[in-house]
Amino acid sequence: MIRLDGLRVRVGSFDLVDISFEVPTGGYALIIGPTGSGKTTLLDAIAGHAPLLAGRVLAHGRDVSSLPPEQRRLGIVYQQYHLFPHLSVGENIAYGLRYAAGDGSEATATRVRALAGLLGITALLERGVRGLSGGEQQRVAIARALAPRPSVLLLDEPFAAVDPATRTILRRELRVLHEAEGITTLQVTHDFDDALRLGDMVAVMAEGHIVQQGRPEDVFRYPNSAFVARFVGTGNVVAGQVERTGEPGADGRFAARFVSGTLELHVIADREGLAHAVIRPEDLLLSSTPLPGSIRNRIEVVVERVEHLGPVVQVQLAAGRDLVAAVTTATASDLGLRPGVRVWLGLKATAVHLV
Amino acid sequence: MLILFIVGPLVRLLFMASPSGLGSALADPELQASIALTVMCATAATAIAAALGVPLAYLLARARFPGRRLLLGIVDLPVVIPHPVAGIALLLFLGRHSAVGGALASLGLEFVSHVPGIVAGMLFVSAPILVSGAREAFVTVDPKLERVARSLGDSAWGCFRRVTLPLAGRGILAGGILAWARSVSEFGSIVILTYNPKVASILIFDRFTAYGLPAAVPAAVLLLMVALAVFALVRLVEPREHR
Repeated sequence: MIRLDGLRVRVGSFDLVDISFEVPTGGYALIIGPTGSGKTTLLDAIAGHAPLLAGRVLAHGRDVSSLPPEQRRLGIVYQQYHLFPHLSVGENIAYGLRYAAGDGSEATATRVRALAGLLGITALLERGVRGLSGGEQQRVAIARALAPRPSVLLLDEPFAAVDPATRTILRRELRVLHEAEGITTLQVTHDFDDALRLGDMVAVMAEGHIVQQGRPEDVFRYPNSAFVARFVGTGNVVAGQVERTGEPGADGRFAARFVSGTLELHVIADREGLAHAVIRPEDLLLSSTPLPGSIRNRIEVVVERVEHLGPVVQVQLAAGRDLVAAVTTATASDLGLRPGVRVWLGLKATAVHLV
Repeated sequence: MLILFIVGPLVRLLFMASPSGLGSALADPELQASIALTVMCATAATAIAAALGVPLAYLLARARFPGRRLLLGIVDLPVVIPHPVAGIALLLFLGRHSAVGGALASLGLEFVSHVPGIVAGMLFVSAPILVSGAREAFVTVDPKLERVARSLGDSAWGCFRRVTLPLAGRGILAGGILAWARSVSEFGSIVILTYNPKVASILIFDRFTAYGLPAAVPAAVLLLMVALAVFALVRLVEPREHR
């Protein structure tokens, strides 16, 4: 388990403020945020490379906040891997083992071979690190970080320096490795796909703060701000005004109208006034005829653009505000979707998430 | 044109010395002693510059602290001071009648007209070269390599010894060789601090003023050959990206 308790860090003029987050033992958590949000600074602070102004870092219940990096037992893998260029692959992996208690040369060799086997880099052990591919470098860096059996593994944008095909393979391998080693892992990334595919937990960072945390699918489905919605790629984020049309129920929520320019939607709200409507593209239903009455929002719209993305087709619609819907290629073909075509758009009031 | 201006005089000097003249110069006991003294003092000055300058260079490369820019300026100051001026300043600072010089003299360390004066003059002019070279070498080592090493359990010193120094080593060595070469060629400050015993540059000057050009040329050629050998060595050890 790793727990961050009210961390405050200053690097130059940049501040991390009140960072609190917990990764359970054996869990895989991700911190996501745009470039400059403070993700790498946070990892450095956890690893002991940036001083804390306030707060505590607890690794498996042990307060490591005042310990130097070498006594924290936190392995770190940076974005560019930072393999030691003057050492071979095997020497890189073995680097931390000289300090691991009880590890003699035989134990070191056994551990290096075991990790190399697990990561599929046994053939590289005698090679220098110059000339390794991005994927190979990443495997070596992970093996090196895991070798001394750290209590927590910290990963800084581990897939940023590899091509998309390698990224897919490495993501899968990393998940398998995480399950095999059972190590508590905290990864920072700017890619929400990593969170959806790898994470049990996710925290979204912006300008040195954690703005939302929870299970990845919950953050994706129910972002708590327009920023998070846009960042995690929820889809349509429309600014407008909420006006109450019904009485509040037992949960305090009420039927309302969301107005943005000429776009009007029936929604379920818990407050009136300015808000953003977050609508997932797959929740926008398209039909050649008006949809059934259970769907409160039925609007006739014009197709502006059609974009084929493999099995999914993204359709940009003029509906008072531009909205993007996602349909299957079969649906797109059945409806004859192309620019200028008029179709009916259906959207359940409950599918509009207001923030 | 500039290349010709640099290479021309050196080639002319090399061809001035006859093999027999060089042979007799090599057998000249005064010149031998002078070159040995020069090499010994330059080595001592470089060793002191390395012992004090490498930690300073690391600090200047890695740490950000108030007064860092001032410190950088002070380290480079000897480069812009005319060397006779440096000699006079050192004479005033290390002479018997100064507080520092007097205290050191009472401990048996005399500078003026003694060998330590030669080392002091060489150190003053060569230390900036070594510190700059070492600082540049440390800057090229990514601090994240050190962070990784620390996270793998290495202490600050262990990480410096096993990661930083091996990676910056060639740059530091190149800076050290250049500093040594600069020490060997020093004249201006040494002539004021310690005219005798004579280092090679002063011996050449002495022979030129006393006996004219033919007497100075063989010794000058020998010193030039030492300088060229050092230059070749620097090119050999310099990190590839600097070549």
